[in-house]
Amino acid sequence: MDELERLYQTTYGAVVRFLYRKVWDADRAEDLAQEVFMRLFQHRPEKPRAWVFAVAANLARDEARAAIRRRKHLTLLTNDPGQAPSRIPAADELVEHDELMHAVQDALGTLTSRDQEVLLLWDAGLSYPEIAAQTGLAVGAVGTTLARARRRLIDAYDRQHSDDSRNHAAHS
Amino acid sequence: MRHIPEDELHAYLDQALSRSQCVEIESHLARCETCRRERNDIAALRDRTTALLATLAPSRRIPPSFELLRRQAAQRSARRVGRWRAAAWAASVLVAVGLGWGARSFEAETAPDSVAAAAEQPSAAPERPRRAPEPLAVVTPAAADPDAQRPARKSGTALRGDSPAVEAPAAARERPAARAEAEALLASESNRTGTPRDSVALGPSQPVGARLSSGQLPIGSFNGSTGALFRTVSWDRARFERGESVPRIAGLPVVEVQLAGSRGQDSRPLMVVAQQLESGQVIRTIEGPATDVTQLLASQAKGSSDSPWPTMDDGDGIAGGDGAMAVRRGDRILAITAPLSSDSLRAMIRRLNATER
Repeated sequence: MDELERLYQTTYGAVVRFLYRKVWDADRAEDLAQEVFMRLFQHRPEKPRAWVFAVAANLARDEARAAIRRRKHLTLLTNDPGQAPSRIPAADELVEHDELMHAVQDALGTLTSRDQEVLLLWDAGLSYPEIAAQTGLAVGAVGTTLARARRRLIDAYDRQHSDDSRNHAAHS
Repeated sequence: MRHIPEDELHAYLDQALSRSQCVEIESHLARCETCRRERNDIAALRDRTTALLATLAPSRRIPPSFELLRRQAAQRSARRVGRWRAAAWAASVLVAVGLGWGARSFEAETAPDSVAAAAEQPSAAPERPRRAPEPLAVVTPAAADPDAQRPARKSGTALRGDSPAVEAPAAARERPAARAEAEALLASESNRTGTPRDSVALGPSQPVGARLSSGQLPIGSFNGSTGALFRTVSWDRARFERGESVPRIAGLPVVEVQLAGSRGQDSRPLMVVAQQLESGQVIRTIEGPATDVTQLLASQAKGSSDSPWPTMDDGDGIAGGDGAMAVRRGDRILAITAPLSSDSLRAMIRRLNATER
């Protein structure tokens, strides 16, 4: 097994998750992840792991821009079934897990884009130096950013929950 | 005594500190109750973050094999070279046509006898390649990836009719789902009432095995049982009638959309969307008023014993046996039928993107 294959086996899932948390569409995330690895095989960069996530982040950014463009040209594109993935994932009210997921998604949305990026890169398994290289932060600042991002995520999630339970109380 | 700052504890727990920094922190923790509590709090916070983020993951699917992906990457590199060659060839053809045109004009000027004949030809020669890309319009919307689209058009301009055949399979390999969806879109605008079309036109490059016939569409027999008429509609039409919430599984090619005639102005019609799995199996997503869907499913189950149609439970929530799964949402039911195990169906129904508004 060569180095690239090992990297593929160990990080493909993490790349899909990383992309999914940016595009919120499972199929799109898989498409983009495969695109990332195809490019990896073509380019064979020096630091492949960091490279993979840098390219994934770029593709996700392009995707977001394209989504904005699409929305602007919506009248022209209404007949394309592949367009406009909904931000809210499939049938989310069906299962408890989906509700939880929705709540976490909202909580994540309250973070600044930098805090989100650092948190997601950490969760994808990148080290502090790798995160620093990709985000342009100093290595020393990664811990500070992560500390803030984690606290904010939990705070936003808990706040939302207490709002929810208050609403439930008001209804009953 | 200086306490350990929060970010350093995060870095410590994330194992992002040097050995000597770790020793320093550990010796402080051994002495300081406050910092130990803080460390435990941060560890808990960190664990909760990880647990919360873990929910933000798509359902686990088997990744494509490494070899397959590597082969595709190699093919793509090769294609890129091929495209350059095609573009170069196209350019040379253009130059040749241009030269021919110039030569003929020159002839026309120098040989006054043949003025009439020559004057007709030159204007026609450069015109034709410019008109030619029309058949490409069928191919290009499928190539959602602009990378694949541009060269196709470029070479198509010069190569005329030949190029769609050359480029289409390439585009097809890259984005099969998007292509098939676009084909389904282009194929159908036959709002025939009553019976489903006898075959679904999927476009010229669809593999033969992917064609469907009405024999595989058990929907037709629903017509008699409730009086509702099904019509096969185009994707456009479906979107027009249902907005974003056409019930389907994102990423799978849509092979047919059927609507039952809506009786009330405000009630949305019963909709059946047929999509094809990579294996060639067809799955159907049915969305509509609970009674209609229940009747449809029941009638189909009765109709033939070997059909993948379910028997419905009267209970709430997820019901059905092998081959079908349904979810009730208020007075409507969302069902999915396919010759698949109930686990696969359960996974499918979670992927359904019919958003209720």
